[in-house]
Amino acid sequence: MTELESVASIEGVSAAVLGDLEGTFLGALRTNDGETIAAEMGFVGSSFLQIGELLGLGPLATLAISCRAKACLLVVRPQSLITAVIAPSQSLGPVERAVHNAIQEWT
Amino acid sequence: METILQGLLDMAGVNAAVLFDGAGRLLAHRGKSVYDRALCEQVGGPMARAIDSLQLQHEDWESATAQFADGTLLLRRVDTTTAGPCVLALVADSTLNPAFATVAIRVSSNKLKRTLDGGGASSSVGSSGQASALGSLPSYSASAPGQPGGSQVGHPAAGSRPQLASSGLSWSRTGSGAVMAADQAAAAYLTACARELARHVGPMSKIFVEEGVRRVCPDLPFSLAASRALADELATKIDDEGDRQAFLAALKKSGGK
Repeated sequence: MTELESVASIEGVSAAVLGDLEGTFLGALRTNDGETIAAEMGFVGSSFLQIGELLGLGPLATLAISCRAKACLLVVRPQSLITAVIAPSQSLGPVERAVHNAIQEWT
Repeated sequence: METILQGLLDMAGVNAAVLFDGAGRLLAHRGKSVYDRALCEQVGGPMARAIDSLQLQHEDWESATAQFADGTLLLRRVDTTTAGPCVLALVADSTLNPAFATVAIRVSSNKLKRTLDGGGASSSVGSSGQASALGSLPSYSASAPGQPGGSQVGHPAAGSRPQLASSGLSWSRTGSGAVMAADQAAAAYLTACARELARHVGPMSKIFVEEGVRRVCPDLPFSLAASRALADELATKIDDEGDRQAFLAALKKSGGK
C-alpha cells in the first residue's frame, strides 16, 4: 500500500492528495480537486517551512487546520506532501493520531 | 493585550505569544529569550502569506497547529471589528501540553477580541492606524548595515519590496548596530545559534550571537560560510566541555558548516 493509499484508508479521511512543496500534483484519491489542493497546500506548506526556519523550530512535520465544519491535515514527507481532507462529521484528533501512527510505520 | 499574552507565555512550554493583524503586522508580543520583537516581526510576512493561501481552501478556518521537529506553532483566528481579522500565534517547545494550550489559546483569543473591539488597546494596533485587509502581501523590511529598525513592520513602505539577498536581512537591532544576515538561511542559523546557546548561558545568548557575528563578519552580512567560525566563537561562552560539544553538534544539525 502506498503512503497515499495508507492515509486515504484511515477512518474519517474523505480524500487524500499527494503533491510536493513546489505545489506539483502527484496523485489523489476520492477527489477531483487534487491539482488545486496540491498547489495551495504546497504553498501553505512552504510558507510554514519558512516560518519554522525563522523561529528556529526545525523542519515542518505536520500542519493541522481546523475549520468550523471540516478539517485538513498536511503531512510533510522527505520528497512529498500528503494532504488528508477530513470528513465534516469527524473530529481532527483521532484522525491526526492515526496519521501519526501511520507515519511511524513508514519511517 | 500584553497581560493576556503574558498569561499565555506563563504556560509551560510556551516561548512566545504574538498577535498579528491580517497583513502580518505585529500588534502585540510577549516572548522569552530569543523570541524578541524583531524576530517575531520577521515572521509576520510569511505568516500573512500562509494564512492568505490557507483561506483559499479553508475560508472559515479557526485554528491551525504546525508541528515542527523542534517545537510547535499554534495559530488561532481572532475576528475583530476594529482591527479586522487577526491571528494569535503561540510558539512552543516539546514540553507544551497541547490540550491545555488549545483551551488557553481559545480563551485568550476571546479576551483579545473583546479588548480590540472595546477600543482599550487602540494604541497598540500599530502606528499605521488601520489594519489592512487580508490579501495584501507585506514584504520583509531590510535595512542597510548600520541602519537599525529595518524590521519596523508597523510602517510598511508602500510598494517597496526590498531584495533580502542584496541588501541583507536585519536579524537584530540591539547593541550598537544591526546584525545583518545575508539571506533567510543565514538568519535561521543565527536564530538557531541563539536558541541553542540559550540552553547553556540563558537570555544573554542573543547578545553573544550579535557580538560573535560582529567579530567573525565585521564588514559583511553574516552568511553560512562563516557558520563554523561563529559556532567556535560562541562555544567559548560555554564552560562545560560536554555542553560545548553538544552545542556544536546541535548547530551542525541546524545547517552549520
